[in-house]
Amino acid sequence: MTAFKKIEDHLRKEAKNLLEGGKVTLVLAYARGFDEKHPVPCVVKAAADADHLVFNEYCTYNMARYLTRYPVGTKIAVAVKGADSRAVVQLIQEGKVRRDDLVILGIPATGMKNQKTGEVIDAKTTASTINPVLYDVLLGDEIHGVKAGSPYDVLAEFEGMDKDARWAFWKKEFERCIRCYACRKACPMCYCDPCFMDASRPRWADKSPTDDGTLMYHLTRFYHLAGRCIDCGECSRACPVDIPLHLFHKKVAKECEAMFGQAAGMNIEDKPAMANFKGEDSDQMLG
Amino acid sequence: MKKIAIDQFSELVKVLAERGPLYAPVKGKEGVNFQAIKNPADVTLDFYNTVLSPKSVFFPQSEDMIRYRITHGATEAQPVPQESRPAVILGVRPCDVRSFEIMDRHFLGAGVIDPYWKSKRDNTTVIGFAFDVSAAADPADFYNTFGYGAADPEGSDVFMVRTDKALLLKSMTDRGKKLLDSLGFLQVAGAQDEKVFEETVKKGKAVRTRSAEINPQVIAKKLVSVFDNGEFWQKVTMACIACGACTYGCPTCYCFDISDEMLFKEGSRKRFWDACTFTDFTLEASGHNPRPRIFQRYRQKVCHKYSYHVDKYGCISCVGCGRCTRVCPVNIDIFSIVDEANKL
Amino acid sequence: MSFEPKILGIACNWCTYTGADLAGTTRLKYPQNLRLIRVMCSSRINPSFIIRGFQLGADGVLVGGCHPGDCHYGTGNLYARRKLAITRKILEFAGMEPGRFRVEWISASEGNKFAEVVGEFTNQVRTLGPQTKFKITKDGQ
Repeated sequence: MTAFKKIEDHLRKEAKNLLEGGKVTLVLAYARGFDEKHPVPCVVKAAADADHLVFNEYCTYNMARYLTRYPVGTKIAVAVKGADSRAVVQLIQEGKVRRDDLVILGIPATGMKNQKTGEVIDAKTTASTINPVLYDVLLGDEIHGVKAGSPYDVLAEFEGMDKDARWAFWKKEFERCIRCYACRKACPMCYCDPCFMDASRPRWADKSPTDDGTLMYHLTRFYHLAGRCIDCGECSRACPVDIPLHLFHKKVAKECEAMFGQAAGMNIEDKPAMANFKGEDSDQMLG
Repeated sequence: MKKIAIDQFSELVKVLAERGPLYAPVKGKEGVNFQAIKNPADVTLDFYNTVLSPKSVFFPQSEDMIRYRITHGATEAQPVPQESRPAVILGVRPCDVRSFEIMDRHFLGAGVIDPYWKSKRDNTTVIGFAFDVSAAADPADFYNTFGYGAADPEGSDVFMVRTDKALLLKSMTDRGKKLLDSLGFLQVAGAQDEKVFEETVKKGKAVRTRSAEINPQVIAKKLVSVFDNGEFWQKVTMACIACGACTYGCPTCYCFDISDEMLFKEGSRKRFWDACTFTDFTLEASGHNPRPRIFQRYRQKVCHKYSYHVDKYGCISCVGCGRCTRVCPVNIDIFSIVDEANKL
Repeated sequence: MSFEPKILGIACNWCTYTGADLAGTTRLKYPQNLRLIRVMCSSRINPSFIIRGFQLGADGVLVGGCHPGDCHYGTGNLYARRKLAITRKILEFAGMEPGRFRVEWISASEGNKFAEVVGEFTNQVRTLGPQTKFKITKDGQ
């Protein structure tokens, strides 16, 4: 079991040191929300405020989401869990943040819970990445010996469906979409400004919530996240109507890994899969 | 006052659904939400509150205003006929019922009458439904702040209270009375039931949610005075990711966008929900955006609800249902922000 | 009346489109079901084009580009290959029949191949029947 209290103490201490020492100008981590079960993402700028930081099993947010808000050159310390650290790596690969600007506070954590239902969500999202892949300071201890299945295990049920059943499934899920765009806004990799959905010339999809516009939005977003999705599950968690977007992203990630031999956000030396090609790519991938 | 046994509730639903459009809570994968009822068995009364607000009954997320077609260079356009059948919305929680009155002030009381809202509102009977007064309120709720109780019948046409075996239905308006009178199979409630109803309303007053002293006139001025306090707004809205979940969940958010959408020479002019937190909400044709930053947009949301709305319509545009807090992906809590601003 | 599919073709300017021209000038027969759109390079194709094509009623989408290594711009089609491979997987996972989407490398001198591919693909889509999944219908959608 993850020692949340210990991590929290370490996080506060580390944030205080970094801010006092002037190594960073801000720390991105978690603070208490309106109650204990509902923490909020927070930014700490003064060492005295570091005591407000918390870390518990409900701190599911991917803090890498906030990195691209600050101009390049801002010295930032960011608290990241396993999958979140992959987002940082991916952002470095894409040149959105610089490694030198960051102090990565890695948090190995299992047993993270959904705030609404209290259900443990590890298996749904970051099954394989319990320990951060890149960090400067490790808060807590690395976790070993937890039997982590493949992150793609949850896909079996959907891959087993025939195409008509799959279409029926997604059609039903997308029908609920209210186009609040929480999925793209919660996503650490969705930093485009403007997003293709906000463009009016050309208008890629209807602005009103029609079914075909919703289909266009989600399918295109799945494509835009191809080779970049780091499987943090934020899109599904943010969705107010519980559309399991992470399943589709996982499927795309799985195919990318199989075809291009590289998972997103594992190594800062990698090039993003879709902005690259290799000599050994073959036409077989076109089916 | 009338009553009906709980096991006969589906009978009531069936009759109402046959007469005209009936909107009631239905359990879906995401939770319970209001839907137009096709199958009476879908309706559920086992819920705390719906995920999204009942405003969609009067103010659908997307609504055609004009439909048109282009033939040989000429455009034929027709306004979309408005629904005129009497409808019923059943199972609205007391705080949400108040939201209709607040929206009325905007859609009907601003000097211009909105025909889309009016036609639906005029034809719809609202059946309110008391919260379970023996249970605690959701931690996100704060309707006590506005003086609402968990079983306030005010605002509903008919108010419904659930007891162990029966549903008590009390008409609060003429429209409600007409509806109940037309439902011959309802039993007449006895003096004992009347007492239970009154007690429930009283107990509802004792259900505690989060609450703060917020005087509309005072908070309206206060927010204007802290408008320029960028540091405060940036601090409280830092987590905001600028999605529209809070707005779409809110029972009193009425901003909409209008767009012409056409396919193969046929199309419609639509109005559909928009959210002030979106990047392109204030984007002008020139490319200039007066509110480019998230804290500016969230500040607009708070100030609109708690300040500008008070100035214009005399009341706060919030009922404390707590939906914005519950659906927020990052748990931003408007109540805490207003409370904090109030204390500055 | 028997079903005649609508095929959307998106072809690169330098190879496949020129190949189509060659098929025309050599008077090769191929089905009229194809509506061909020219783009400068296969890597210019945004997957949204393909999705939109299906939404607007295409029963099949055929993408043509230069043979890998022969790209007019050097490496365009090598990126395109990855993009289109993922697009294919996305369409498949959403429930679209895989047979409705095809990518072919056709050079400027392969007028024959162009006619063959179009003929073959049209037949294949014809057997699959009308595409109804993504297509926007007037009522409801």
